[in-house]
Amino acid sequence: MDEVLAVSGLSAGYRGRAVVRGIDLSLRRGDIIGLLGANGSGKSTLIRAITGQIPLLGGSVMVDGVDLAAAPERAKAGFGLAIEPHDLPAPLSGRQYIELVASIRGCAPNDLPSADLPGADLLERLELGRWIDRPIAEYSLGTRAKVAILAALLGRPPLLIFDETLNGLDPVAAWEVKRVITALCASGRHAVIVSTHVVEAVPALCSRAVLMADGSLNRSWDAAQLVEAGRAPGAFEASVMQALRMRAAA
Amino acid sequence: MRHDRLVLILLRRELIAGLRAMRRRDLAWIGLGGGALLAYAIADIVLALQAAAPRLRHDQLLWTLGLPLTLAVLGALTGNAVARLCLERAFAPFLKALPLGSRQRRQMAGRATLAIFAPLGVLVAVLVGFACAIIGKPLPAAWGVGAAILFALGFGTAAIWRLRQPRLLLDEAASETAPVGRPRLGRLDRARPRWLSSWAWKLPGGHLRPSWKLAAAGLLLAASAILGAWASLAGRTAGPAAVAGLAGGILIFMLSLRCQPLGSPVLRTAPIGFTRVWLRLVQLPLQLSLAFFLLPAGAALAAEPSAWAVPVAGGLWLLVLNGAYAVFGAYFLNTPFVAMLSFASALAYASYETLEYGRTVLIGLAALVVFLWHRTRQRYRNG
Repeated sequence: MDEVLAVSGLSAGYRGRAVVRGIDLSLRRGDIIGLLGANGSGKSTLIRAITGQIPLLGGSVMVDGVDLAAAPERAKAGFGLAIEPHDLPAPLSGRQYIELVASIRGCAPNDLPSADLPGADLLERLELGRWIDRPIAEYSLGTRAKVAILAALLGRPPLLIFDETLNGLDPVAAWEVKRVITALCASGRHAVIVSTHVVEAVPALCSRAVLMADGSLNRSWDAAQLVEAGRAPGAFEASVMQALRMRAAA
Repeated sequence: MRHDRLVLILLRRELIAGLRAMRRRDLAWIGLGGGALLAYAIADIVLALQAAAPRLRHDQLLWTLGLPLTLAVLGALTGNAVARLCLERAFAPFLKALPLGSRQRRQMAGRATLAIFAPLGVLVAVLVGFACAIIGKPLPAAWGVGAAILFALGFGTAAIWRLRQPRLLLDEAASETAPVGRPRLGRLDRARPRWLSSWAWKLPGGHLRPSWKLAAAGLLLAASAILGAWASLAGRTAGPAAVAGLAGGILIFMLSLRCQPLGSPVLRTAPIGFTRVWLRLVQLPLQLSLAFFLLPAGAALAAEPSAWAVPVAGGLWLLVLNGAYAVFGAYFLNTPFVAMLSFASALAYASYETLEYGRTVLIGLAALVVFLWHRTRQRYRNG
């Protein structure tokens, strides 16, 4: 099955109040979708709903053909979420956290998509070697983000979700993670959702982009539009800003 | 690392991380001081048990009702607390998006609760058996085992009730650990009135917003003050009103003092000394406390004018106790509940020892307050 995520008419929120509504989204293997939006636009709520962290108020989410509402555990096995760095268990070491996630996902701690990634071992590529056996409490924001990314790749799930994970990375790690994402999707076995505020990174990284505003999808860019916008420096950012201004004016 | 032992591993790691986070000197103080105090307490209890042995051995009410009931209640409270602790780890935020069912999480929490119970049960059996041996009760081992069974019954019932609670799973607020039951004590630690701290800094958030809870608390305290005053006026004695004023005053002070701003980098990096910050935080709670005290104290004076020393002494004690609690509150700045508990324990212990050694024990309490003040000021300055 090519489609790894099918979101249809999704509404979700907190305490019965919808924060995101009417979301339709589809991802196929090989897709990298950039999720953009201002603070409070509903990006994180959408990701929480897709990953089963908050209940749906309406609509459906299918992960790799499995209905999230009907079989949440099976559906959750179909994606890897790089959790927010401050949510990582501070008392554990990075290795213990990786082993723990591997145990829950029922795979080996080294079951990473290495075959799809040319070059060195992922631990080395993300420069985690000297940190991995120290408690997460001692990590910087970027190192925490790297561990969260590594854990998301465990078991090679078809759908990978990075919720503002790129934001805390140093330039070298951000470049490495972008290379990893590109290589994984080029293999045709994975699809990736990247929620980010780093707008200028989107044209080079993503094959599609959507802009969220006030809890709904406000505008989308396909691959051709992203390539076009990526040619001139700042063109994509200008395009996003224009969409946000139009939304505010409306 | 297997995830089925996750809860225990997390708890153990949190404990180790907490110990590592403490300075070695503080650890040594706690170890040596706590150890010495524990040894002294054990010796004191053994002596007290030996002295009361004949009476205790034949106290039917104690053995048939008092002890079983105490053990069951103690077990239930412990079981509830331990199960809640384990459930919070099993439903930790970092596990929310992982393919782990609710049943599996509860099983993990249940196994960890059981593992924690085992040493506690043994401890209860040993302590009760030991106490029975000291007072010469026949079959001390059997009493120990019986006590452990009663403790286990209370523990198991409360733990199973807590583990089967239908709440949680999906944390709708999605901003904090999934709530497991009603975090009553934690709620107290986060409780209003937070506005008191803001008031001290004349911030807009410091304006008092009336609420039903505040009105209910005010009514309750007013009723207790009126009751105390009435008892004094009716009996023509200053005692009841003075006691009501002192108890209500310290209660108001404890409930209204919030010292969280002492941990704020905004204040710690501002050109203002610790003492000034602390005094400003204490200002409003102290005013509220004294304002409450005035009505019962006035009634005490009116009821028995010749005993003017009683309300005056009550007022002075109120100031001393408020000052001591303000130091405890500043030391445990993020956990007012722990501050209250520690203060009440210190007072209770000092009162108990005063019976034996007289008021010299108060010097020890004063030394503790000074030490806490010194440590709090150091922490404010140096982090």
